[in-house]
Amino acid sequence: MSLSAAQVAARVLEALEKGERIYTAVVTDAPDPSLIGRRWWLSGRRSRGTLGSRSLDEAVAAAAPSFFPPRESRGALSRDFEYREGGRMRTARVYLELHGPPARMVIVGAGHIAIPLARMGAMLGMRIEVLDDRPEFAAPERFPDARSVRVIDFHDPFLDTPLGPSDHVILVTRGHSFDYECLVRLLRMSAPPAYIGMIGSRRRVRATHEQLAREGFTTEEMKQVRAPVGLDLGGQTPAEIAVSVVAEIILFHAGGTGVPLVEKERVVARFFGSTNARTDAAEPGTGATGPEAGPAGPAASAQPATEK
Amino acid sequence: MTLDEKELLACLARIEEPAVLATIVSAKGSTPRKTGARMLIGREGVIAGTVGGGCGEGEVIQAAQDLFEGAPPTTVRVDLTDDFTTWSPAVCGGIMNVFIERANPECFAEGQ
Repeated sequence: MSLSAAQVAARVLEALEKGERIYTAVVTDAPDPSLIGRRWWLSGRRSRGTLGSRSLDEAVAAAAPSFFPPRESRGALSRDFEYREGGRMRTARVYLELHGPPARMVIVGAGHIAIPLARMGAMLGMRIEVLDDRPEFAAPERFPDARSVRVIDFHDPFLDTPLGPSDHVILVTRGHSFDYECLVRLLRMSAPPAYIGMIGSRRRVRATHEQLAREGFTTEEMKQVRAPVGLDLGGQTPAEIAVSVVAEIILFHAGGTGVPLVEKERVVARFFGSTNARTDAAEPGTGATGPEAGPAGPAASAQPATEK
Repeated sequence: MTLDEKELLACLARIEEPAVLATIVSAKGSTPRKTGARMLIGREGVIAGTVGGGCGEGEVIQAAQDLFEGAPPTTVRVDLTDDFTTWSPAVCGGIMNVFIERANPECFAEGQ
């Protein structure tokens, strides 16, 4: 009996609970229709189910890990695989998914910004850990979405929090000496977290960097720190600041531009003409001959800086 | 993995009424949901998840009905590149392939 989608979903949830990485596959097209809908999973060396052909199982198992970068915790794609059937090579289309342990967000400093940050990180599906040296702040009841809330000593802040290259660390401590202690540890790791963010004013960030420079850190090393952390949204409240930080994390992974889509796409300007119709006409396929595409008036030259 | 996605997996793992699973297995161009998005469909309609709302979802739900009548799993090609002057909901601009299959064949009555 072949595995059903429901059975595989149960196994994926189990793997996620245990922090294991699991690949799942299902045949979506094949010359032999009896293969369509057959599924299989692979986790470490364990595997269950079949795609309906041993040769196909082997081909997919061998290739699956290469489709997803080791740092990724989630992926989905379709590929064609060759397999042998009765001495002939055939091709089947297989849909593959990767489910891995969730990305981790370690928030250092359990103050007022940490609270919305923990909530929003959890909404993105991240595993949240909060650290602070003040027990009254590092209190689990303040962070219902956190997997762990720990009281630490800033002399060795990550002593009980082993970090890896796929982690996100956000420094929102109450003083730049604490940020500094954390940064020294983080930058000296053999494989530092991919995302290290530190909150602060320009002045505070500069002071921290000056201290790092005195300690012998190079500018290349300093550039690994996103400080001040977050996108420039102009928000002020803790929740607004948290939005700007999680927005930067999304940008970091998804690779967008961070500019408002209305400015990136410029649908009105490109397709309906505007005072900038002449510059747009140079772009292929923008249809600058819309109903309002007339000669640019004097106003056009007054605002050239807003358009790229 | 987002919470929505985890909830859908949990729902899929537990579901006892006969259900069809729809998964976007590939997508090209502008589509409201990307490869990997899922939806669970019951006889009476959507149970959980979405593969794109107004943009093409109706076609998928329609096609899923055949699977309750015994049709084999298949891939539905949803073309969202309709001319937008038609006011059709399918003007998102992309094409997606949605694989539909019985989510829990063990819960389907014999002979279906």
